[in-house]
Amino acid sequence: MKLDSVTLAILGNKLAAVSEEMCLTLQRTGRTLYVKETADFACALAGLDGRFFAYPRSIGVSGFVGLECAPAIAAVGPLEPGDVILTNDPYRSEGLATHLPDLHMIEPYFHDGRIVAYGWCFVHCSDVGGRVPSSISPTNTEIFQEGLRIPPVKLMKRGEMNPDVKLFLDANSRTPDANMGDIRAMLAALTAGRRRLEQTIGQHGAETVSQAAEDLVSYAAEKARAVIDRVPAGTYAFSDYLDDDAVTKLPVRLSLAATFGNGEVHLDFTGTDPQVATAMNIPSRGRPHAWLTLRVLALVSTLDPTAPLNVGLLGPVRITAPEGSLVNPQEPAATGVRHAAAIRVNDVLNGAFGKALPHVMPAASSGSVIPVVMAEPDGQGGKRVQVIEPMIGGTGARSGSDGVDGRDSGISNLSNNPVETVEAEMAVEILRYGLRPDSGGVGQWRGGCGMELTFRVLAGGTNVLGRGMERLLFRPWGSNGGGPGMPAQLIVNKGRADERHLGKIDILEVNAGDTVTFLTPGAGGWGPASLRDPQAVAGDVRNGFVTAEGARAGYGVVIAHGEVDEAATAGLRKTFAVSNNPNDQGPERERWNSVFDGDVMDQLNQKLVALPAASRQRRRRDILERVLAGLPQNFPRVDADHGAIQIARQQLEAALSDL
Amino acid sequence: MKEGGARIGIDVGGTFTDFVLSHPSDGSLTYYKEPSTPDEPSRALIEGLRSLLRIAGLTPADVSVLMHGTTIGLNAIIQRRGATIALVVSEGYRDILEIARSRMPSSFDFHAAKEEPLVPRFRVVEIAARLSASGEVTSRPDDAEIDRVAGELKALGVDAAAMVLINGYTSPEVETELAARLSERAGGLSITSAAAIWPEIREYERTLVACLNAYIQPLMQRYFNGLAEGLAKDGVTAPILVTASNGGSLSLASAAARPVETILSGPASGVMAAARLAEAADVSAIITFDMGGTSSDIAVASGGTAELATRTDIGGLPLVLPVVDVSAIGAGGGSIVWVDAHGVMKVGPQSAGAMPGPVSYGRGGTEPAVTDCYLALGYIDPNGFLGGRMRLDIEAATAALCGIGGRIGMSGENAAQKAAEGALAVTTAGMATELYKTLASRGLDPATFALVPFGGAGPTHANLLAEETGIGHVVIPPAAGTFCAMGAAAADLRRDFVRSLRRPLDEDTAALLWRTFDMLGEEGADWLDREGEQTLERRFERGVDMRYAGQAYELRVSLAEDLKDPKAIAEAFHREHERLYGFRDTGAEIELGTARLAVIGATANLAQAEIAAGTGNPERKGARPLFRKGAWLDAGVYSRSALGAGDRIIGPAIIEQDDTTTVVLPGWSARADRAGNLHLERQAQ
Repeated sequence: MKLDSVTLAILGNKLAAVSEEMCLTLQRTGRTLYVKETADFACALAGLDGRFFAYPRSIGVSGFVGLECAPAIAAVGPLEPGDVILTNDPYRSEGLATHLPDLHMIEPYFHDGRIVAYGWCFVHCSDVGGRVPSSISPTNTEIFQEGLRIPPVKLMKRGEMNPDVKLFLDANSRTPDANMGDIRAMLAALTAGRRRLEQTIGQHGAETVSQAAEDLVSYAAEKARAVIDRVPAGTYAFSDYLDDDAVTKLPVRLSLAATFGNGEVHLDFTGTDPQVATAMNIPSRGRPHAWLTLRVLALVSTLDPTAPLNVGLLGPVRITAPEGSLVNPQEPAATGVRHAAAIRVNDVLNGAFGKALPHVMPAASSGSVIPVVMAEPDGQGGKRVQVIEPMIGGTGARSGSDGVDGRDSGISNLSNNPVETVEAEMAVEILRYGLRPDSGGVGQWRGGCGMELTFRVLAGGTNVLGRGMERLLFRPWGSNGGGPGMPAQLIVNKGRADERHLGKIDILEVNAGDTVTFLTPGAGGWGPASLRDPQAVAGDVRNGFVTAEGARAGYGVVIAHGEVDEAATAGLRKTFAVSNNPNDQGPERERWNSVFDGDVMDQLNQKLVALPAASRQRRRRDILERVLAGLPQNFPRVDADHGAIQIARQQLEAALSDL
Repeated sequence: MKEGGARIGIDVGGTFTDFVLSHPSDGSLTYYKEPSTPDEPSRALIEGLRSLLRIAGLTPADVSVLMHGTTIGLNAIIQRRGATIALVVSEGYRDILEIARSRMPSSFDFHAAKEEPLVPRFRVVEIAARLSASGEVTSRPDDAEIDRVAGELKALGVDAAAMVLINGYTSPEVETELAARLSERAGGLSITSAAAIWPEIREYERTLVACLNAYIQPLMQRYFNGLAEGLAKDGVTAPILVTASNGGSLSLASAAARPVETILSGPASGVMAAARLAEAADVSAIITFDMGGTSSDIAVASGGTAELATRTDIGGLPLVLPVVDVSAIGAGGGSIVWVDAHGVMKVGPQSAGAMPGPVSYGRGGTEPAVTDCYLALGYIDPNGFLGGRMRLDIEAATAALCGIGGRIGMSGENAAQKAAEGALAVTTAGMATELYKTLASRGLDPATFALVPFGGAGPTHANLLAEETGIGHVVIPPAAGTFCAMGAAAADLRRDFVRSLRRPLDEDTAALLWRTFDMLGEEGADWLDREGEQTLERRFERGVDMRYAGQAYELRVSLAEDLKDPKAIAEAFHREHERLYGFRDTGAEIELGTARLAVIGATANLAQAEIAAGTGNPERKGARPLFRKGAWLDAGVYSRSALGAGDRIIGPAIIEQDDTTTVVLPGWSARADRAGNLHLERQAQ
């Protein structure tokens, strides 16, 4: 760092504020729901290397600090004042954009005839065409189904909008006016950033500002290194599964080995499944991409909240993401719902870091974000579509603290919808919107409760969509002896004669009068449940987070008349084993592992990823289906006998050696 | 109100209880500060009032009205020291407070916790009662159900309760009536109905209004009763008004019924005083800058009135009542200056508070604070603090700042001053960036505003902030240190009413909107009649939240009295939309959201006392060195009370008064106007 302490403090503050002021401008002038309500946008300042030196802390999407603008800038050739680059293509922008609805813009900021910085912003716009309205569907198999791909182009040339580009944009969206409204808001944000940067240069000089940009990145990197250095050196491995890829019933595996040492962390995703034929792929391009490193940022920010938010925080991070895998797919893999896989990426980082820092990292959070959407007849032959509630669960417990019930900001920190505004706009009656008792993983520290949403549909011809449903099979895991959270469930007409339990749905057709109940997973517990203070259990029972039966079965605590029955509890706890399972992932995962154990799956995936892209998915499906054919139909929800498991293992190993 | 009596404004703060008295004969003002008695706040108020009257040469019978602001409710909420309350809620919604709006305070910090709910889950009781969005009662509790709930409430042994029914806002009378029946069967338990107190759509936010009210009501009622009794014993028969968060005031009885309307009254009063002062001084648009011990706040005002917000944060809880829109922008005089492990200087957010206070207070503080920087740089006089009642230790402050300098490579001559100047630069840059952001979110440019500083450190820091933000005009009120009390003394009566409509705009709904305004207006007029204060003039302000159908956000549009035609209402919305967002969508359907009506009863204006004309060139009372941009300058020191109207001082200069010090930087001048305001203006280069 070359600047003096005072100047660096001042410019650190001012430059971060430029990015926040850009965001405020965008939010004020933006047109659509994504901008106004869910804040799915961000703005930042990038240096000449295209990496962010100033990023907003308190507004917009927080995780995109690690994105890189350089490939998009290089793609368009020389820039002039007033030029603005537009792109949404994950492949041609090399991972700047990660799915097509995200429109990214870059404006070169000039001073005295040369570029001193770049302004950047993005907005999740309403629709960029493609197979389905809003452009995103988990069942898209190629990016070509996901809408208009915009390679990096000059939307603005010397301050004038390129009419040809506009024609393409307008012709390829179901909502061209709303998109153009958001594009104009982005341009306003870039202008606000340019003006404020010019003013800052006027006050401090261009050289000082450029130096500050460099120094701030070094400063953040130093802080990140200091945090990483607190992690005991070594390699920590962890794996987790998505229940399925949204089309086949086969689980999708994510595997990570995190190696800490010398102030660095190496994240190696070798052993992760090949890219899937649905839209859950994360187009990282093999870089320390935002979607793969969110938990590193969280770790640094948790242990040193004063670290400035910029790319320096990722300075100590190296990454290996095998090409052709879920975390570095090859074109033309679909990427629309990459955040669904990113949630599980967060979980594997969390699990691996938890082995290194058991008293810092929490157990798994509920790990799903489900925008429960209803599409009802609009009376004009079409459908009115609206999110009823974005359903999340809770956060994992950690050493010294219970998890948070019914809230989880791990992947996004969205507001819910007031029930009254939903009922005012849609033909629905929301019967219950609350916490789900007993769903939090047991432990010395209890995992956060998941949630319940039950609603009655009042109009026929209505569809319910629950995209993003996850953890119906593999549970949010506990830590250091803590138990896993309850898995998710979906029930139609709960408590009625025609009650139905459904698995994952894409689109559910319901009749007028039907009720639909979403139960989200609970989060993992921390530490053995038998060590939980009985009074804390009694408090949970009193508040209804845990039932009396749950207290007895999960904690060995007997509650009578609202109080702990000390004698009965002591007796019951004697029969309770103190769990020492470092990560209790639940019986389903144990059964799965009894056939598909970690080492074999690592080897399988290394071999699969080496195959030509076209045959990877097919070979994997063939192998897994053949192995599962000899097991009970609902495996791993149900036990298989020892003989069947042995046969399945042998089949798997044979298939592996045939590859 | 007694004609021609004295108006007294009182602001009960954490450290001091401030008084301002407007004298009945000539409008002259008397100021007084009494140390607060947080254990029993009315004691300082009653004792201070005795002293104030003695100083002013008046008796209790001469008082025409007492206007009074308090932070008791706010502190109880922040420290969670309110009453033990229960919440009664529609079946299926027991977790309304646990879930809130489902957001966490931080998205990165995985050790972050959510806010502690005002009512723990075991004291939330469900009742089989709710309405539909169109206002029909779809679930009506029978007697057995009401008895069951009443039984549970009794068993919980609570002091008070709040009630909210889903869609209760559509027909407030349903919930009001149920609350009354329930109260009757629960032994007369006080139950705040959310729909009665604030019938606005959005169940969580409305629930909080009711819970906050129930939570602070027992405490506030005790306080108000004690106060009224104590004052009556002293022979004060004048009505007591309580200032409100919306910048207005209410009678003691109204405030006891709806204490939630008063929780942010302190900062609101200061901003309203500044707004009125600016209007009287012909300054069109201002940013107020209230810098106290722990933090600084800004607000925007124009045309004599402050901007209101309908979503503020109270100790982590959102409040949707209209309140004067005050935003925190960073450090106060007690904020600590420190250096992090990587050698970067920081100011705050830790504050030295009153104990131990800055190093120079000599009460055991070892880390320098912003006030120590003022002292080391010559901005404030070590012997003149609080009118000379407290001597500051300049040597200790300088030594501590030298220590800071050493850690960031500042050594040799004036190392302490360089460190102090650096710390003030960091402080000011932090404030400026927050100020820019606050204005950017409303599309405003700071350069078009004047800055009105108050609070103990506001006038000391204002010139630095103006210089940094490109503001060219600073207006410093006469009694900047007791400004919130001043605001209280002049507050109007005001109450806000809402009713959520949620209908598309057409002929019928425009008529419905105006019927709603008429109904709310009658309610408001009745309220004013009951408040007891004779008001000079009553006024109704009407507005409605509107949006284009399908849009996620609403815009507040003010409606003039004659704007009844739906086309004219639509045009008013289009225009406002265009002003804020740069486009209009003439093809889209427009929806009416929440109708809002404010009823305002203007009270007596404070007579404007004028100061005598000066000579133009006031005399210095002394001089002292002022450190600026690495060098010592010679600055004239002036006494504020000796300045006459029209007097002009060229910076660098220091203008001292009992409760604060004004710094005039080089390149700026100060001019006193007839009202005693000091105008700092950037001089032409």
